[in-house]
Amino acid sequence: MVSLQRTIRSMRRVGVREWWRQLQYICDAKSGTYVGKDQFGNRYFENRNGEEEVPGRHRWVDLAQHDYNATQVPPEWHSWISHIRTEPPSSDAVMQNLTPPWQARYIENLTGTRGAYKPYNTVAPKYNAWEPKVKARA
Amino acid sequence: MAFVLKSAACRSLHTSKPVQLAEQQQSVPAPPAYSEPITQQANRGSLQLSLETPQNKAEYVLSTLDKVTNWARQGSMWPMTFGLACCAVEMMHMAAARYDQDRLGVVFRASPRQSDIMIVAGTLTNKMAPALRKVYDQMPEPRWVISMGSCANGGGYYHYSYSVVRGCDRIVPVDIYVPGCPPTAEALLYGMLQLQRKMRRSRKGVLWYRK
Repeated sequence: MVSLQRTIRSMRRVGVREWWRQLQYICDAKSGTYVGKDQFGNRYFENRNGEEEVPGRHRWVDLAQHDYNATQVPPEWHSWISHIRTEPPSSDAVMQNLTPPWQARYIENLTGTRGAYKPYNTVAPKYNAWEPKVKARA
Repeated sequence: MAFVLKSAACRSLHTSKPVQLAEQQQSVPAPPAYSEPITQQANRGSLQLSLETPQNKAEYVLSTLDKVTNWARQGSMWPMTFGLACCAVEMMHMAAARYDQDRLGVVFRASPRQSDIMIVAGTLTNKMAPALRKVYDQMPEPRWVISMGSCANGGGYYHYSYSVVRGCDRIVPVDIYVPGCPPTAEALLYGMLQLQRKMRRSRKGVLWYRK
């Protein structure tokens, strides 16, 4: 749970700079072991001490981008952070061996950018905007 | 051709043998090194990027004011609940303890005059459509609409029904479409976050100045 003692402890462990970053992006002072980094530069942490982190909040990600978004976590790390797999992908032998060679590159959600998905349609629009026409009064 | 087919058939796609893994890694070219976020690549040279980069002092002030406005708007999104069908149950789950919309400042309001977002949750029937439009018209500007679920997005299961509007975007302009039948509470919350992103992109002051 959040307490002054825990905040000071985390701050002393991670340093003022990292603590300030956490305050801006995670809105909490957390400290734990560094587990790994994905291809986008997001860093993943874990703290399994139940006294220091509430169970359920013991795995977290420090997203690299300022405009952060949950889809920036690639699927391999998603399965780790949501406890689908125990081991992180960097040390999960099964995941490393089962990754098919034809697997596509992971792309985050592009909604709102010019890369957003637009369905392809060649059919004439089925409905049009209403254009009110006022008849002259008699 | 036969050889190619044979080799393709022999290629083991799922293997747990490290020896074969090494062979695969040799044959597959390494993906290009990660340089910058793909959202930045997608937005390069766009009008939005131009709006977000101030060109003089007035634009700097205006874009900062815009950011303050956006921050205030995204911090207190009050949705008008337009629960029409089973999607409404998932919408209630978003308000409940697990996903806890209150931490984002999302509070359901029963009155359209006090809300700025409308979540259309469920099948919109022809009979309900005038009421939906009336409620939308009663909401104060600025207002956003989230279309939740297949039925609200495009009719969904009832697309060919005689009494169902094929998508609530025929009645009101929609900002965010949340897919699913019904979408999970998590998906709807992600839709709310996407709407926050959309709010953050707004640069009305800069747009006014440039015009």
